[in-house]
Amino acid sequence: MDSCGALRAIGVAIVAITLAFVLLPALVVAIAAFNARAVLAFPPDALSLRWFAKALAYDDFRVGFHNGLIVTAFASSIALVVGSAFAFALDRYSFRLKRTIESVLLAPLVIPHFTIGLGFLILAAELGAARGFAVVIACHVILVLPFVLRSVYISLRNLDQRFELAAASLGAPPRRVLTSVTIPLLAPGLVSGWLFAAILSFNEFTASLFVTSQRTQTLPVAMYNYVREYADPSMAAVSVIYIVATAALLTIANAFFGLGKVLNVENAR
Amino acid sequence: MQDKPFLRAFVSPAALCAFGLIAALAAVFQFSLRAYVPGSLEPGGLTLDNFTALAKPLYARVFLDTISISGITAICTLILGYPIACALVRAKNPLLKSAILIIVVTPLFLGEVVRTYSWIVVLGNNGFINSVLLKLGLIERPLQMMFTHFGVITALVHVTLPVMVIMLAAAISHIDPDYERAAESLGAGPIRAFLTITLPLSIPGIIAGVTTAFAWTFSAFATPQLIGGGQVNMVSNLVYQLGFASFNFPFAASLSVSGLALTFAVLALLRAATRPLEAVTAH
Amino acid sequence: MLKMPAESARGVPAANANADGAFVRIDGVSKHFGDVPALQDASVNIRRGEILTLLGPSGGGKTTLLNVVAGFLAPDIGSIHIDGRPVTDVPPYRREIGVLFQNYALFPHMNVASNVAYGLKMRGTPKAEIQRRLAEVLALVRLTGYQTRRPRQLSGGQQQRVALARALAISPKVLLLDEPFSALDKNLRGSMQLELKDIQRKLGVTTIFVTHDQSEALSLSDRIAVLSEGRIRQVGTPDAIYRRPADRFVAGFVGDVNVLRAELVRVEGETAFVGLGVATLAVPAEPLRGLSQGAPVDLFLRPEQLHLTARGGTSLCEGVIAAHSYQGGHVDIHIASESAVYGRILVRQTQSDAAAHWPVGAEGAIGCETQEAVAFPPEP
Repeated sequence: MDSCGALRAIGVAIVAITLAFVLLPALVVAIAAFNARAVLAFPPDALSLRWFAKALAYDDFRVGFHNGLIVTAFASSIALVVGSAFAFALDRYSFRLKRTIESVLLAPLVIPHFTIGLGFLILAAELGAARGFAVVIACHVILVLPFVLRSVYISLRNLDQRFELAAASLGAPPRRVLTSVTIPLLAPGLVSGWLFAAILSFNEFTASLFVTSQRTQTLPVAMYNYVREYADPSMAAVSVIYIVATAALLTIANAFFGLGKVLNVENAR
Repeated sequence: MQDKPFLRAFVSPAALCAFGLIAALAAVFQFSLRAYVPGSLEPGGLTLDNFTALAKPLYARVFLDTISISGITAICTLILGYPIACALVRAKNPLLKSAILIIVVTPLFLGEVVRTYSWIVVLGNNGFINSVLLKLGLIERPLQMMFTHFGVITALVHVTLPVMVIMLAAAISHIDPDYERAAESLGAGPIRAFLTITLPLSIPGIIAGVTTAFAWTFSAFATPQLIGGGQVNMVSNLVYQLGFASFNFPFAASLSVSGLALTFAVLALLRAATRPLEAVTAH
Repeated sequence: MLKMPAESARGVPAANANADGAFVRIDGVSKHFGDVPALQDASVNIRRGEILTLLGPSGGGKTTLLNVVAGFLAPDIGSIHIDGRPVTDVPPYRREIGVLFQNYALFPHMNVASNVAYGLKMRGTPKAEIQRRLAEVLALVRLTGYQTRRPRQLSGGQQQRVALARALAISPKVLLLDEPFSALDKNLRGSMQLELKDIQRKLGVTTIFVTHDQSEALSLSDRIAVLSEGRIRQVGTPDAIYRRPADRFVAGFVGDVNVLRAELVRVEGETAFVGLGVATLAVPAEPLRGLSQGAPVDLFLRPEQLHLTARGGTSLCEGVIAAHSYQGGHVDIHIASESAVYGRILVRQTQSDAAAHWPVGAEGAIGCETQEAVAFPPEP
């Protein structure tokens, strides 16, 4: 067992180092955010919360946050409805253009986001539409749809269809089967799909940069503009809030739905 | 039961979305074939000038750079991601498993800007690494990591690692542990069992992971823009620059179209190159 | 012929393999998963060349024990010896064991030849030798000519034979079979069982076989170890297990059984006499130690030990015919009776006209010829 033990130790070390690599930027940013001085220094001379105060008071961040919530709420909810309905059809039926529609909807996973952003920008201009929220939301729906589609599709796959047959045999018409059996059983998949869509939409940057205007810019766009113009640690403060909020959301999601199952990485046995 | 209840109601919205995406891509394609009228946002008549202009060495270099950065990033991510994916799948302690999962997955949802900014703080001349090394007396002048390929690739690996781990873990978790046990009962030590059984059986996941990592890196914008700082340019940066600095949307569109074509060409090549491997592992 | 470590044995359990006759020795093995005990103080010896079956319900600990012998699991305490050598700390790849997995675990990315040759390659066997052995074991399982097939191109029975060939190719000291027939349909199962037993006898390879199917265990084994709730309840030949079960669990799990309310009449040395109706039956006294005369006991009788007679005479008890079930070679008759501890009494009649003779609703008496029965104290 000796060579085996050594091998294990090496494996554990590699995994630990890689996890440290993943965590490093978050830890460093946290240190920077609490640094009292405007110039980065490690370790910091003094600690302070001033950058958090400054960041929270900064208008562009406030507006960006507000805009982000609007876009995210609409985009993730629309994507959830459209995506789960299509996932259901995909799982149960065969119909014309099934594979075509599926591959088009999954394409944003491999199409560069700047191309999609540019496309919606040009499309809006061609149609004479203003660069308002509608364009941003439409663009976000397309971008997060693949994730909803996959999440709900996996849940549907794991759903024993005999429950539905049982309900139908007991006299439930299709609509009642859907509302009384399928949707309740699918609820964890639907909620986690919606949650992922919301987080991704809220954080979407590249395409947003193309389709938002000064008036509709979302938080990531505001942050990007801030990083380009200023070098003070306000940005670090925002990042820390961001990281903590996201990790907390994911921990809750993990406790409720089991991320492993949602991401399909659970053991075969 | 009706034959296909709700079929129309369930498919139409999705079809509309698909149509919207196709329309957007068609708009890009259409613009790429229009002439640039300086000083005007309205493009001129049909032309192929935009594509012939791409042949300039300046642009060809950016394309080559983009491909090599995406390729190197995908490979590095694979090498770093595989042990993590194994640990994630094989960890027996549920708490440890959750911890690994949260640590790995959280960056996926942070967005490019936050992560890129974090790396600026780590890699910058006054950043974490240089401060620490200077303080320890290991270097006399700050190491230049910002505005280098090294800096850009490091940050991009960090960006693509979560998705790689998820795809690899999905593949590894679906390999029946009995295969490895069978190999061990037949006399294969842990390393040989891994090399002859687990690794080949995870090839579909490796292909999926590398493909996605490549596509995501190709699509990255904030990282090369902020960490590359004009010294390292990728197609996305050029598109943005042309669109929003020069308002040359037709040329930006032609760059996008070429980028898209290139992505698909590389992905198709990757697929073709790995088809024999995949055939081997088809269940 | 293949050279097996147990070549001299030829399927006859050799009494002098070791000092105590054990080729595989399992000694006081316990294993917990978290706080859940999966195996508690399990000890059993397997003789050279025999088939020992670990029989029990799922969750009984039999697969855990198999995995401990294979080295896939380390026991909390206890030890495993194979051929006189302690192997508790030896990793599975140095134990020289052949394992036939429940779903065969044939490597899907390799063809039949690569699968079967895998273990030999791991041992650095020369190419020519590998080819020779490959041909030999494939002939043994009657799959000559299937070398280049992929596992998914084979039927279930063929897959199983490849898996067996793969396990045997390395001339294992011990062959471990983990529910190997559960994935096969019923007809194929019977012929595969015969084939497996035939090959095992031919090679004389010491075999541990795990199953939850008691009829499979009875027909295949030289000896059976019955496990339940992580403990070994009884080890013995199929006949001993069937006729002289050591406790209520074994009596109920192996074969069909009737449990009748009776009373202890007297004890004479190793034999106790139990009375029911006008009959008195002799049973082993051991399980009834400590009970006083006249105490209620549960009498266990097999359906084929009972028969229906007209009322009166020397019957055990009486009852009303509740149902018939025609089984081809015999008819199972279910009788509602006051004396039955659990529901009904099952009687196995071999006359084909038994159903007509004993219509549902008719009253009948149950007689018993056997002197071989067992009895246990009633459940609290």
